[in-house]
Amino acid sequence: MKRRTVLKLGAGVAATSLFAPTRPLFAAAKYRFGFSQVTTVEPWRVQFNAAMKREAEKYPEVELIISDGQDRTEKQVADVENFITQQVDVLLISPKESAGLTGVVEKAIDAKIPVIVLDRNVDTDRYNQFIGGDNVVIGKAAGEYAVKLLGGSGKAAGNVVEIWGGMGTQPAHDRHDGFHEFTDKEPGIKNLLDKQSADWKQQKAYDVMATALKANEKIDLVYGHNDPMAYGAYLAAKDAGREKEMKFLGVDGIPNEGVAWVNKGELTATFLYPTPGAEGVRQALKIVKGETVEKKITLPTMTIDASNAAQILKENGLL
Amino acid sequence: MGKVGQFFLRTKLYWGLIVLFAAGVVSSPVSSKGVNIFLTPGNLADVLRQVSNNGIVAVGMTLVILTGGIDLSVGSVLALGTVVCAMLLTDPGWTSGSVIAVPMLIGVTFVLVAWFVGAAARTMASPTISQPLRRTGALGAGVVAAALVGAWAVVQVPATFGVLGVLAAVPAVGLCVGAFSGVIIAKTRMQPFIVTLAMMVGILGVARLVAGQDTAVHPVYTGENATADFEDLRALIYRILPVPGLFFLAAVAIFHIVLKRSTFGRYVYAIGGNEQAARLSGINVDRVKIAVYALSGMLTCLAGVLYVAQYRQGKPDAGLGLELDAIAAVVIGGTNLMGGKGSMIGTLVGVLIFGFLGNILQLNNIDSNTQLVLKGLIILAAVLLQEGNMRVLVWRAASRVKSWLPASARWGERPREKPSTRSG
Repeated sequence: MKRRTVLKLGAGVAATSLFAPTRPLFAAAKYRFGFSQVTTVEPWRVQFNAAMKREAEKYPEVELIISDGQDRTEKQVADVENFITQQVDVLLISPKESAGLTGVVEKAIDAKIPVIVLDRNVDTDRYNQFIGGDNVVIGKAAGEYAVKLLGGSGKAAGNVVEIWGGMGTQPAHDRHDGFHEFTDKEPGIKNLLDKQSADWKQQKAYDVMATALKANEKIDLVYGHNDPMAYGAYLAAKDAGREKEMKFLGVDGIPNEGVAWVNKGELTATFLYPTPGAEGVRQALKIVKGETVEKKITLPTMTIDASNAAQILKENGLL
Repeated sequence: MGKVGQFFLRTKLYWGLIVLFAAGVVSSPVSSKGVNIFLTPGNLADVLRQVSNNGIVAVGMTLVILTGGIDLSVGSVLALGTVVCAMLLTDPGWTSGSVIAVPMLIGVTFVLVAWFVGAAARTMASPTISQPLRRTGALGAGVVAAALVGAWAVVQVPATFGVLGVLAAVPAVGLCVGAFSGVIIAKTRMQPFIVTLAMMVGILGVARLVAGQDTAVHPVYTGENATADFEDLRALIYRILPVPGLFFLAAVAIFHIVLKRSTFGRYVYAIGGNEQAARLSGINVDRVKIAVYALSGMLTCLAGVLYVAQYRQGKPDAGLGLELDAIAAVVIGGTNLMGGKGSMIGTLVGVLIFGFLGNILQLNNIDSNTQLVLKGLIILAAVLLQEGNMRVLVWRAASRVKSWLPASARWGERPREKPSTRSG
């Protein structure tokens, strides 16, 4: 550990990060997959990359190159252009946003490189495959669960706080729409907040919830568009001594975050938003071997609550 | 302009806060028991807690801006602080966090103690003690202190750090980073904007490297993977005064006194007013500049520790956009971005205005997008109200009105532009 850390901090840092992308040029692997990731500092993206690397390591003939778009469209466009120049065998991309990355995806297709789009789609159908979860389905699962928690269909009642992800992002709107398909049918359910965004961040959700707790004496359920926000809201309620009065629902279900919090009883449930990385590697292998692949794969969600959280943690070696 | 007008102009900052406060009281929802929620001690304490991180950073930013500089690197420095703090608390042994923090803590201790003993000896010791002896004494004291602190820190490494440990080590990291920016700015005479912009990018990279490739967030669960004492840093004293708020108010008080009463404070204003004149009058401009950037870094990392305490995590994107919030608070507080004019109390008011605004909008359940628009308008309004801008505006309006009037009805001359030397 010590030596590795020292190495990481030393001059080696600059050198390794500079040369990492070029190293595969001299590698002996048969297939080179280039994956353009939008950012690497979000927990869900970290899980995404980790699962993908694990899958790629199972196939010695595969070399997986991951680039980090640093959450900027222009950086990601440059990353993909770099992959096109390198002539990777398959391009996988998880775009920052649809419009900005469409052009470069088409450029790759023009260069005869097969493209698999992951998680967020692009504004064209000139790609080989799209793999992603369905946020509306996840929102529906959360909405159905919430109605059950608050008394069941037809008689559900309670005050709900919803904490939005980024207002400009599609997943937030989909998770909202799906949830409300169920909760809006219940006349007893009251929504306390009007589009309060915490921008997917735990610390912002903490502050939004701290104020909501002051302004509302009765809160029965909190729905965060992701687990860190639901957990931030839980911490605010705990600091106010009111966490026992309400239930907390999150989305994402990353083992060392959401699942761990559910297992500790801090969140009531979380709904898996699966990472498409591992499936992407398997599908890319099919493409290079000449098999035809489906145009669209939708990964299923899963409800994670006290009944299965411990099991999932065990499977991931965290318990 | 009449005396009443003068009085209003001079105290307009406080009037802004009072008007905003009144707006908060009037618009606040009322609880079922008829209590005004905005005015509950819990809510006011919450505002103080929410602004304290930004506030502590804004204190350092005020010092920097008063010298005519700017520190854009605070967001990244805070992020580095949260990552190092979370790692020291949760990861035992020599991790990338402790490898950075412990040597920096030892170095900072040595420099500070040696400098302090040296300065004390210069002013107090009898003239019989020769200069080489004083220097040896100062260096010796520095070495001894550094050895003691180093031993104390190294002992904590195999387990995990305690509260005092992170409160000493993490700000030391910030101080080193800030001093590095300061040295570059002072010695190369490069623009502070460019240097701290480069630091903002570079330190973000360092924060991400320290955090590690496969860990975006370092969670801190007090009592489980970290010492339970760490909860003290987010506690409410007497159930009303949040500890982070206490740190913020203390920082404001200390640096208010430093600015108003110490030679260092006068040098800060002098450099911001006219750097060339300050240099010619014998002020060691470089040393003062290095000090203000070092202090900014130190305070920012202190805010990083409090961030970890409040939000239970350290992560490389913790300080995203923080530099803009801090600069906005300083500017709302009436400090001139050109340097030389402004005060710490102004920054306190600016930070509170920002905090109350957010709280009032949130209590009234205004949606997040509209909140951003209103915050932008408040910043514009505050800057417009600043003395110079206000005078230009009034003068223009007056001259336009005058040009419509017949010559006989015109009033006095255009107001004389008085160069303001007031700092508050």
